[in-house]
Amino acid sequence: MNTLLKVEKISVSFDGFKAINSLSYSIGKNELKAIIGPNGAGKTTFMDIITGQTKPDEGKVLFGERSVWLESDQKYQVVWDENLLMKSESQIALLGIGRKFQRPTVFELKTVFENLFISMKKNRSPFSVLFQKLNRDEKNLIEKILGEISLKNEQDRIAGELSHGQKQWLEIGMLLTQEPKLLLIDEPAAGMTSNERRQTVEILKKLSADKSVIVVEHDMEFVKDLECEVTVLHEGSILSEGSIEHVSSNNEVIEVYLGR
Amino acid sequence: MTNSINDLLARHTLIFTIVVVIFSLFITFFSEPYGNGLISTSFVKTLGKTVCLCIIALAMDVVWGYCGILSLGHFAFFGLGGYMIGMWLMYERTAIIVQEAAINELLPLTETELSNAIGNQIFGVVGGYEIPSIWMFADSLGLQLILVIVVPGILAFIFGWLAFRSRVTGVYLSILTQALTLALSLYLFQNDSGLRGNNGLSGLQNIPGIEYLGQEVISIGFFWASCIFLISIFLLFHSLMKSKFGLIITSIRDNETRVRFLGYNVEIYKLFIFVLTAIISSIAGALYYPQAGIINPAELAPIASIYLAVWVAIGGRGKLYGAIIGATFVSLFSSWFTGGQAPDIPLGMFTIEWVNWWTVLLGFGFVIITIFSENGIIGFLRNIFVKEK
Repeated sequence: MNTLLKVEKISVSFDGFKAINSLSYSIGKNELKAIIGPNGAGKTTFMDIITGQTKPDEGKVLFGERSVWLESDQKYQVVWDENLLMKSESQIALLGIGRKFQRPTVFELKTVFENLFISMKKNRSPFSVLFQKLNRDEKNLIEKILGEISLKNEQDRIAGELSHGQKQWLEIGMLLTQEPKLLLIDEPAAGMTSNERRQTVEILKKLSADKSVIVVEHDMEFVKDLECEVTVLHEGSILSEGSIEHVSSNNEVIEVYLGR
Repeated sequence: MTNSINDLLARHTLIFTIVVVIFSLFITFFSEPYGNGLISTSFVKTLGKTVCLCIIALAMDVVWGYCGILSLGHFAFFGLGGYMIGMWLMYERTAIIVQEAAINELLPLTETELSNAIGNQIFGVVGGYEIPSIWMFADSLGLQLILVIVVPGILAFIFGWLAFRSRVTGVYLSILTQALTLALSLYLFQNDSGLRGNNGLSGLQNIPGIEYLGQEVISIGFFWASCIFLISIFLLFHSLMKSKFGLIITSIRDNETRVRFLGYNVEIYKLFIFVLTAIISSIAGALYYPQAGIINPAELAPIASIYLAVWVAIGGRGKLYGAIIGATFVSLFSSWFTGGQAPDIPLGMFTIEWVNWWTVLLGFGFVIITIFSENGIIGFLRNIFVKEK
């Protein structure tokens, strides 16, 4: 399996506080992984670094592994398509990394439909956008996604009027219209009813069929339902990695989670 | 769904166009040259100037109300437009006068003599007779008209590029734009700026070549030109803001970071809007100052741009007609109060003279309107007439 994203020994500190400390991480194509950790473990900072909002003090963030056959050496060599540290937020988003924020961040004054319309994968340059109209295929795609996130009947409503759970869905819908390769999802289950949580698990699993998904949570129960590899972050570095049973039996993890 | 919205929009702009055209015809049929003269030429000029102020208010509304950039420097572009057209008006008119005077000379003037005579006429007040190099295109109306677009365009581009790239936002950006207009104004106050220092450019109401028409006809011409430009800009902004482009612009206002994570280059969009509105402000200025007759550096003072923001806030930002209502309302009241027509109020030992007290009234009005209606007069009217579910 090819690696989609590789993070190598990144560190970042804010005013002397080490938010991320020599952290390495990777995720393969169409893989679903979860990151858990208590508050202040560096989860959000980690996402900020991948999406280009924060630049690390040291380390590498690489995207899109490919093997290239080297004629001269008669062997395969691994090359990376992109070095994310050289890119701006919008360039990283265009490469195919979508991010769902912790609080649902949709455009509150726009309708549900408009929210999906502007997220759509299309040329993003202002001169091109000036003349972009919605065509039939795109309309169908939006309708389809509206169905998937069960907001079909709400499409003309102002997004600000939606319930908290519906906003979360809408934001996931916005990510889907972007057609990303990697999804970073920050606390998807926060503030959801148990019914909505079950649906969220289903959606996330379905997404990982053709996308890589990293879910950040601090709720162990939710992560258990995802049935995927789990990484425990603590004070900016990895405490434990493996299946949920493996990490939850780790003494250090228990101490970090329950010892406070 | 989309069809009914399109119908509504089409009607919206149609209503606006019809209202402005009827208004223009009404003014024309009561004007001195084409009607019974009930409306004086000076009032036609006041209305024409007000229409130009509506245009820059529209630009301000787009940059602030729609894109969320509180620029307190757009009047600098308005003034620059005035200067650019003023250079041609003043140069050409002086050249004609000098040439007419030279007819009586025994020998025809040499090129240098001619140039010095023109230079002396224009720059005598600042103690010079050489024509500065920035006036090199002043003999050509076409080139000066291009400069009306190019000069503010380039200035806005450089300023915007530097500011937006460094992610300067909010109040810091507003302060920078204030600094921009202040710096420009102070520079123009210098006698050696090449634009006649604090004297500014004057006699702009005399349009070379068509002076025989008289002010009463020219004023109607400018009034119509201003109205036609207002309608075109309204239509342009309206369709722009209703398109996908407009959706992205208002999304940037509401949540810049989110737009960035969708993959849009927010800085380019802001730059686009900033430059576009700067150019439109400049064209509005180029229409305004020939009606005003004079432009001087005080026009670019920081307070002018703040007034602009006040108009838009009072009218209602984020709605195009809000900007127009705000600009019309405040600038007409302003000229009524400061023009000495408003009756002073004697309070025994103290008399309220509106010439001085108008700004106090405006300040109170601004505070009261923004406290009671976040969206200005428009928001207030909507609350009364439009019952929302």
